[in-house]
Amino acid sequence: MSLALLTTREDHRIAWLAALAITLHIVESTLPSPIPGVKPGLANIITILTLIQFGWSTAAWVNLLRVLVGSVLVGSFLSPTFILSLAGAISSIMVLRVASWLPLSGRKQGTGTIGSGGSGFGPIGYSVLAAMAHMAGQFYTAYLLFIPHDALFHLLPVLMTAAVIFGIISGFIAHLILGRSLNQPRQSPVR
Amino acid sequence: MTRADIVVVILAVALLPFLYITYWGSSQQGNELRVMVNGKETMVLSLHENKHITVPGPLGASVIDIHDGKARFVSSPCRGKQCVHTGWLGQGGEFAACLPNRVSIAVIAQEQRYDSIVF
Repeated sequence: MSLALLTTREDHRIAWLAALAITLHIVESTLPSPIPGVKPGLANIITILTLIQFGWSTAAWVNLLRVLVGSVLVGSFLSPTFILSLAGAISSIMVLRVASWLPLSGRKQGTGTIGSGGSGFGPIGYSVLAAMAHMAGQFYTAYLLFIPHDALFHLLPVLMTAAVIFGIISGFIAHLILGRSLNQPRQSPVR
Repeated sequence: MTRADIVVVILAVALLPFLYITYWGSSQQGNELRVMVNGKETMVLSLHENKHITVPGPLGASVIDIHDGKARFVSSPCRGKQCVHTGWLGQGGEFAACLPNRVSIAVIAQEQRYDSIVF
């Protein structure tokens, strides 16, 4: 008996993008980190690209699948690391939802979005917001569930500085990638 | 970058010093050391002048050292040496006492780290 699973273009797209994000997630998990909780968050690049190219719900799927599958592959599924990661992903995706409600956000404006002075967010704005929301969500979850001690707040400025810096960097990378892919004739990544 | 991007980046960067001030600034470095004997203030010393002082109490002399903005009990004629083990004090509101000898020292800053301490 063969079981045929009906998959849509959207499913394929999510799978491809999630695979990319998971790859970055795993590569990054092998890098040493100076302070627990500080990571470049390269997978954020994929979330932002997905958000701008394919909309919020695709980005939400990609981000949550990334956390789930990434943790299973790294071996941190259901561990505190996973819970913090999930909390971060959920808060960043919520903030991106709110941010993408702004008029003229993303590419609804047309192909000229990148680099033009529209009033909506571009990749850098989204990325900084997502990185900070991720850090804040992760931080408060850590505070509420794992380390309910006020001394933890002494780490917050350092963590937020890292989030802002890495948010700008990954936003800039997303901006470069978008600039390239928009200059070429648009092609769906999925056949 | 869109205008909204620029606003977000500026706000994000502006938030950072605020965070540092809020979470790091609260433990303020003290400026002065208040020395009390028998519950009465006997002297107030600057924490920025390094010196050794000897404070006479009912049991004998307690020796207090002030060095680089911090102060500590070096010795005291008591049994528990709680005051000596308290170590260096440097932040506003920090406090050490030698109860047997009735000598206590407290760091004074514009903003105190503790409102009160109960033992």
